[in-house]
Amino acid sequence: EGKPIGDAPPGFAYAAVAHNPAAPDAKAVGEQVCTACHALENDHFSHTLHALGLRAAAAATPGAPVCEACHGPGSAHAAQPPEKGLIIGFTHGAGTPIEVQTQTCLACHQGGARDHWLGSVHQRNGLSCSDCHNPMGRVSPEGSMARTSINETCAQCHRDIRAQFDRRSHMPLPEGQMTCADCHNPHGSLTNPLLKTNSVNETCYQCHAEKRGPFLFEHAPVRGSCLNCHTPHGSNQLSLLVAPVPFLCQQCHSHLRHPNDLQTPQSLAGGPHPDERIMGRGCITCHAQIHGSNNPSGPRLHK
Amino acid sequence: DSGVGVDLWIANKFDPSAGAAADPKDPRGTTWLRPGEKRTPTGTLYACPAEPPVLDGSGAWQQYDSSIQFGYFTIGGDDKSALWRRYAGWDDGFVLGLLELHFVRPSDGSYIDVRASHISEHDQYIKGTVGRAGSYKIEAYARSTQNVVSGNARSIWDGVGSNNLTLAGGLVPGASTPAQVAAVSAAAPERVLQVNRDKQGLGINYFFDPRWTGYFNVTDEQREGTRPFGGPFFFNFAFADNGGIFETIRPIDDSTVNTNAGIRFVGNRWRMDIGYSGSFYRDRYRSFTYEQPYALWNVVTGPGVRSSQLTQGQFSTEPDNDYHSLRATLSRSLPMNGQFSVTASGASMRQDDDLLAPINCTGTFGIDLVGNGQVGPTNPFLYACADWNTPASLSRRSADMRIDTTLVDARVVLQPTADLTWRGGLRFYREDYRNTYLAYNPLTGEYGYVAENGSQGTVVPGEVGIWNPVTGASILTRVMSLPLDTQTTEANIGADWRLSARDSLGATFSFTRNEPSHRERSQVDDSTVKLNWTNRALGWLTLRANYVYLRRSGDRYDYDPYAFTFSEHLPGFVEPEGGLPAHTVDALRKYDMASRDQNKIDLMATVMPREDMSFTASLRGDWNDYDAKLGRQKLDTLGATLQWEWQPSPRTNASLFYAYDRSKLGIANVNEDGAAAQTDPVLGGATYPEAGRWWVDDKQRNHSMGAVFVHDFRRFKVDAAWNWLWSRGLTHYRFASELALAWPDVAAYTGNAFPTMKYKLNSLTLGVTMPINEQVSLRLFDYYERGRVSDWHYLGFDEARVIDHRVYSDGGPEDYDANLVGLLLTIRL
Repeated sequence: EGKPIGDAPPGFAYAAVAHNPAAPDAKAVGEQVCTACHALENDHFSHTLHALGLRAAAAATPGAPVCEACHGPGSAHAAQPPEKGLIIGFTHGAGTPIEVQTQTCLACHQGGARDHWLGSVHQRNGLSCSDCHNPMGRVSPEGSMARTSINETCAQCHRDIRAQFDRRSHMPLPEGQMTCADCHNPHGSLTNPLLKTNSVNETCYQCHAEKRGPFLFEHAPVRGSCLNCHTPHGSNQLSLLVAPVPFLCQQCHSHLRHPNDLQTPQSLAGGPHPDERIMGRGCITCHAQIHGSNNPSGPRLHK
Repeated sequence: DSGVGVDLWIANKFDPSAGAAADPKDPRGTTWLRPGEKRTPTGTLYACPAEPPVLDGSGAWQQYDSSIQFGYFTIGGDDKSALWRRYAGWDDGFVLGLLELHFVRPSDGSYIDVRASHISEHDQYIKGTVGRAGSYKIEAYARSTQNVVSGNARSIWDGVGSNNLTLAGGLVPGASTPAQVAAVSAAAPERVLQVNRDKQGLGINYFFDPRWTGYFNVTDEQREGTRPFGGPFFFNFAFADNGGIFETIRPIDDSTVNTNAGIRFVGNRWRMDIGYSGSFYRDRYRSFTYEQPYALWNVVTGPGVRSSQLTQGQFSTEPDNDYHSLRATLSRSLPMNGQFSVTASGASMRQDDDLLAPINCTGTFGIDLVGNGQVGPTNPFLYACADWNTPASLSRRSADMRIDTTLVDARVVLQPTADLTWRGGLRFYREDYRNTYLAYNPLTGEYGYVAENGSQGTVVPGEVGIWNPVTGASILTRVMSLPLDTQTTEANIGADWRLSARDSLGATFSFTRNEPSHRERSQVDDSTVKLNWTNRALGWLTLRANYVYLRRSGDRYDYDPYAFTFSEHLPGFVEPEGGLPAHTVDALRKYDMASRDQNKIDLMATVMPREDMSFTASLRGDWNDYDAKLGRQKLDTLGATLQWEWQPSPRTNASLFYAYDRSKLGIANVNEDGAAAQTDPVLGGATYPEAGRWWVDDKQRNHSMGAVFVHDFRRFKVDAAWNWLWSRGLTHYRFASELALAWPDVAAYTGNAFPTMKYKLNSLTLGVTMPINEQVSLRLFDYYERGRVSDWHYLGFDEARVIDHRVYSDGGPEDYDANLVGLLLTIRL
């Protein structure tokens, strides 16, 4: 507490020795004591944004913690190095409860993107910040990720989702042009699937603003949720559709005349009855404005 | 900031890791103090960090980890394939693989980073970051990406890319034959249709002091290109040799400015986050027009009957729109290690584009029953274009549409003991439509719209879409827009128990009430139970299990809630003789409104058999049963993954994965009996008899496999990556009788399934990197990709794109084999 001294960067100016419930009597020993044994870790850590900030703060405010800002006071650990838990560890088997790990990170990183960490699916499933982040070395170009990219980090657990992005239609995630975190906030959000915005559609509109409308004539399930027709992580249909056209549409449409006929391969090109309702893009060939029409003559989403 | 906006990562297919994967790893490993490698708390292996630079703590700027990689790509095989080029601008030629510049001033934590790559005009980026750790960060970038949507399009129109397509090759609007159109299509060169995105962004994060921070981001994106689109609203299947079905090629030429800004406060007890997001979409075009080559003829005949010829269709493009959103979150720590948080958000989506006139013809349209060309009560299906081709024929000149959204979310977490956490939350979300549109023509006193788009109203009496109190008082047509106001209220409560230091259990119950307006239900209720269990009892194993049960129910299902948007509610509407036609069948349940039961499991195990190895296995299942005789009946998915990772030393790592999933979608529907009265909505009744029922099962199977191997032999480093996907979709159908079929005459040999839909992808990267000296290294790599795709929608398109009066531009996805060889020189700066 108190005002920082000198020109400490504000984000690190209040850095304090982390609280380790497993070593309540431990005292801070200072960075030099730590690096006496952890020279290699120190080399790697020096390659990170955390090191830049903490050391700049320590330079401006002598005595400000560096290693112990995250790992807690080191005296008990220095006295008994093999004893787990005497220092706050962020690795498997380190002996520090996950809750202590996350609270240690949140001591500086609370708020903002992490406002809704508590109760989020990742928190409930016992993930630690360091399951996804490695602030002790440079592994990724940005974000202090545990793997080389955000997407590869998510794929540690969500390999099934990552595999879906290899399908015929997908967003450019395998191509490195977007990330899981463009749509999801893995730290917790106001929606169950950890979306960054208030709804599915608002998330999609971030890149597909032309679909936002509102249109003169709306298509109810489109306004309800883009996911009614599209699967976001990859599809073997055209345009991320959840089912082949026209059956996608016929899940909801059974109107008189042409929409509720059962189409068969006989209606494909080369068959006895080529039929535009199933060939090519099927229904969308005529109902081209399927996301909504702004034409006064477009209630059938055709103009 | 992972909480706001997009573009968190800028890279390309050539190197999705933006240099990180190729960074030389520290040969000393991760630690000297523990054997083997370090793991995340879950148990997966941490990637070995890059070799760190040697920096002193001086106040001078120091350059580190800087390099430039450049070279030459040569591509063989099907290099124009849409699937090969979808998001990668591979071309023969010189490339800048990656430029990395890093500068740091350790004394105060300042840094400068620059990253750039140029593969081709539409596959490039540059990003610069200037900052001081814990003080400020300024990022600026420019990127170009491409989305290839067709690699084999043929156009019968000139002007592709513009908003006005004119017939090519001497085709005459309204007077060409299919043979002439087919000849022009066949002679047209294949072209690539793609949308290019060029985006520039600026972002600032700033610490005002240790508690107050602010951020500001703005991006400007231009999209330009073409994509397959639609054409007239017509029925070639019903009226052979008449009019046409066209897959046109529309232009994409728009821009979007997105911005967000906010301030945050983090105190000892209180936290606050207030942010604004705005988005402004602008389209260069307001309309898109095209010429159509075929003549129209009437389905009614008689002495003197004449039809109008329409030769041009017209679309409105997506309207310019604005979006504003304000959001504030206030959090306070509570006793018992608790936290209370409330978020309020208000947003508005609005657009007020000038509306196009209902039709863009001159003269008359419709059917001239009398043959004198005179519009009037005695000629009820003939219309004067002048009455409909002007904005004066609209009830208002601009759209003036708006949706406002409101969100309030409150949640509380209490941790009365170290082993117990209570959670509870309330959420309220609402979308309000602020306007409706009534399709009324003040020039004529008529309601409705003009279905004409070079299309059917001309040939079918009463199908033009216009309701007239005198000459068409029984015409059922759409006259109003559909406001889709909705409101969602959710309450949830849950608890987490830490049964032991290595065992935790959680349970959550939530109830959500969705109250949509003007949908099939006015109330849809979701009751959800979630259970989660995490176990680390065994040092070599982390287990996670999640189970979700959801039951969706609601109030009475109104199978036809849209009647109020039709002319039947206009004063003066006269019910047709025999009654109103049944809009749809009563047993249909639209799946976003239907009752359903969902069971979902998610099991994951991370196994650590050796210090240098890990396995991860997962099993995920999702079973949905819908309460629907017609509509979606079930959607079941089941998937499993296996991953193996091995990292015996900093010089070597290998991984292997396999993923499998299958899904089954069950759909049911019913065809009407066209010979019966069309007024009975009951399934099994005269209009929708049991004999018209049909069922479809769509089954998907996906197998994925991949392997990565990297080893540094010191004199050279090899890397190999293989990725394989095998997908198979099979759509089966069955039907009660030939009445269900679009074409009953082929019932005897119509079979029970579509051809298998397949997609197979095989890609292999082999690379070798040889250091020439301490500063320079050479990389030679080969990237091979093979795709096999079969989509029955496009069967036969390789032979002809013009089928009777149907004209298709896109030939559909195609098999491809392509190979890229790259030779790149990397110089450490």
